[in-house]
Amino acid sequence: MRINSLNFFALLLVGVFAIPAFSLFSLALDSEAEVWGHLSSTVLPVYLGNSLILLLGVGIGTLVLGVVSGFLTALYEFPGRRWLEWMLMLPMAMPAYILAMVYLELLDYSGPLQSALRDFFGWKTPSDYWFPEVASIGGAVLMLSLVLYPYVYLLSRNAFQQQSPAFTEAGRILGDRTRYGFWKIALPMARPAVAVGVSLALMETLADFGTVQLFSVPTFTTGIYHLWFGTANAPAAAQLSLSLLGFVGLLIALERFSRKQQRSHGNASSLKRSKRRALPQHYVFLAQAFCVIPVLLGFLLPGWMLLQWSWQSLPGWDSMRFLSDASHSLLLAGVTSFFALALAMLLNFGIRQPKQRLLKGAFRLAGLGYAFPGPVIALGVLMPLSWFDQQLNQWFFDAGNSPNYWLSGTIFILIYAYLIRFLALALGSVESGMANITPAIGDSGRMLGSPQGKIMRDLYLPMLKGSLWTGALLVFVDVMKELPATLMLQPFNVSTLATRAFAYASEEMLKQAAPWCVAIVLTGLLPVILLNRKLRSSAVPQETSHRLMPVSTETHLQPA
Amino acid sequence: MTTKNESPLIHCEGLSKAYESIEAVTGVGFELEESESASILGPSGCGKSTLLRLIAGLENPDRGTVSLFGSEISSPRRMLPPEKRRFGMVFQDFALFPHMSVSANIAYGVRGSKAEKQSRVAELLELINLPHLAGQMPHQLSGGEQQRVAVARSLAPRPRLILLDEPFSNLDYQLRVQLRRDIRDLLRQQGVASLLVTHDQNEAITFSERMLLMNGGMLIQNGNPSEIYRYPKTLWAARFVGEANLLEVHHTDGDNRTPLGILNFAKGSTGNAVTVMIRPEELHLLPPDKDMTGGSIVSIEFAGPVQNLTVRLDSGEELRVSTSPKRIWTEGESVSVVPEHFQCYDASGQRLDDEASLNPVSSSSS
Repeated sequence: MRINSLNFFALLLVGVFAIPAFSLFSLALDSEAEVWGHLSSTVLPVYLGNSLILLLGVGIGTLVLGVVSGFLTALYEFPGRRWLEWMLMLPMAMPAYILAMVYLELLDYSGPLQSALRDFFGWKTPSDYWFPEVASIGGAVLMLSLVLYPYVYLLSRNAFQQQSPAFTEAGRILGDRTRYGFWKIALPMARPAVAVGVSLALMETLADFGTVQLFSVPTFTTGIYHLWFGTANAPAAAQLSLSLLGFVGLLIALERFSRKQQRSHGNASSLKRSKRRALPQHYVFLAQAFCVIPVLLGFLLPGWMLLQWSWQSLPGWDSMRFLSDASHSLLLAGVTSFFALALAMLLNFGIRQPKQRLLKGAFRLAGLGYAFPGPVIALGVLMPLSWFDQQLNQWFFDAGNSPNYWLSGTIFILIYAYLIRFLALALGSVESGMANITPAIGDSGRMLGSPQGKIMRDLYLPMLKGSLWTGALLVFVDVMKELPATLMLQPFNVSTLATRAFAYASEEMLKQAAPWCVAIVLTGLLPVILLNRKLRSSAVPQETSHRLMPVSTETHLQPA
Repeated sequence: MTTKNESPLIHCEGLSKAYESIEAVTGVGFELEESESASILGPSGCGKSTLLRLIAGLENPDRGTVSLFGSEISSPRRMLPPEKRRFGMVFQDFALFPHMSVSANIAYGVRGSKAEKQSRVAELLELINLPHLAGQMPHQLSGGEQQRVAVARSLAPRPRLILLDEPFSNLDYQLRVQLRRDIRDLLRQQGVASLLVTHDQNEAITFSERMLLMNGGMLIQNGNPSEIYRYPKTLWAARFVGEANLLEVHHTDGDNRTPLGILNFAKGSTGNAVTVMIRPEELHLLPPDKDMTGGSIVSIEFAGPVQNLTVRLDSGEELRVSTSPKRIWTEGESVSVVPEHFQCYDASGQRLDDEASLNPVSSSSS
């Protein structure tokens, strides 16, 4: 009985997650070859080139920013180290598209910086001086690197901290000086963790839509968006989606491979951390500057600007519009987190039952959703749901009544898309909580006379409380920040904080967008605070850090 | 054994359980009387924990039954859920509920009013000598204290049977020996039947009156520890429960020849015997004598209450011999070796049920 219902649930879930992927495939393969030929001869090389440049640039940017700051804060003591350690995480709270909006405004011809320069030097026209164009691929690389380096920073800092001091000590006894210690011992040992961090950052880069759209850098995500909105060419958009997924697949393979290496790179079995050494005096300023700059550019400066612009735009502030957008965001985020947690609990309990191969498969499939960029998921859910609506309309209203968008025109479709994309976060959180509960706990409860329901209430729920809140928070915040899928799927008259801010920005009304952005960044700060608290309080810091990372896919991506 | 009119506490018959085509337990049957303590001994992966979980009701059998006082509680068709069996269980990692205090842990399984719960908890805390820890959380306790609390928690609902799944293996040696005694005494004093799963033969011998020896999912031997030690049913059992000297039997001229002499069977068993097994303490060393099997001492290990010697026979075989430490031996010393108690096994490793004697062949005659 029980097992059958679980299997049914598993099949249902597989269906829910597989239908969008399946519809993408059939859409892409079904169409005439001409579309593909046209694509590959025109826009595809451009997308491909831009994506490669972005990947390369962001890869190098996050690597340098993340590894060096992680190395310095993990192994050295210098004034300000304790502050910088957590402040380096702050840019995680800043969605790349908001950073892009701020710098567009800030570095614009009429923006404060250029105006100040002109006043100071007495320049009159743009031809009097050269100023770098922020709305360029280089600008996009910079923006994305500034918000994505914390992935690399967190993972590499942990890796450096976990390395048993014995290794570096052994190196020093053998005559290594610090420099060589870094290149020959510390860095090679941290390499798998760094690779995981970089591959996560690159996945986010591929999924980014807002930044490249604002900076007019054509990539796969913007291509899908324009093909869909501009030409309603679904087959072409589907084909672009599949090409993008190919890229993502490569990155997943890289991430998976690195995680395996990470496990085999014998992290110190003891919890003994490397003791921090004092940084030589003449390096202190350099180290401080290196760590302060990404925090300053990635969070403090844009945060300050947003607050200032919000203040300036206050007189003409459309508070009703803000409240309506905020309530939509809160509703969507709340409902999605609730369903994501419920599903995550069911799945996690399900796979603990014996003989649940099918469910385990569904579990891993559900975890993959996070790797799919927003526009791809949007396209994937839009097709089957609108087909469903059409069928329903034909069936109900073949007399010619007005058709209705039952599913595709309501917030249902948004929640569906969010669930596919963000369920992995809830699954990961609940899973890591469950990992701390041995099966013997449940067995003990039963042996002491409690039926399953009572065990769930008395034992599992209180023990999972922390993980459930974490999971809910992660999903909540990611839904609040989500942009491309929401743009593509939002029903008429439903706008969220993110889409409104983006709409303002697209109309070059960046200052008006500031209050919306502040609200998003403030919610984005919550998981950063939580992550920081966990890292500080936990006796086993290496366990929690990448579990709390927005992509905690390590277990879902692993073959069981 | 005296036959009882009443049904035993636990009666297992033909119990079998497979996980994904791997047979974990195959056709196991045995009985456990009220307030009897038994242990299931076997190497890791022999199915002993599965057997325990089958009895607990945490797994359901593919074949066979478990009965409680004669009424069936587990069968492939019907299961009495574990929460209704009134058995206690102590797990390897103790499985204390981390979000509950020590007293809340102990009280968890107790039914009744608040006052009843409180008095039962106080009683058990007294019993395990930890009344001062009532308000502590599990993570504040030492391993030994957690273990005691786990036992108290399983005893609290007054179970008929306590199942212990390798409960001492997470503790260090000193503590393990101490706790083993304490908990055995506690269970005896409470008159609760117990079934202990362990891979450590010392643990099995000191903890319980009866041993169920398992290997490869099957019950090899069921008896009291000394019986199993002295009369192991198979060669595997002989080696598993202690040190064993194994000697090959050669059949020449109608004789069963071994390095220690010629085997003579009381019932005249034929040439079935292939191996002779002798425990190290069943070999006696005497001054060299022509009419006995000769050898010399190769190495000496002094181990406190005993001395473990390696003796090389003149025919080349090496034997382990345990002697009292009172007599001082020297390496290279010549001795003669006299076996006292031994068992014979056939080609399939089964013990031959026939009394035999070993008659030394005098070294002069060969």
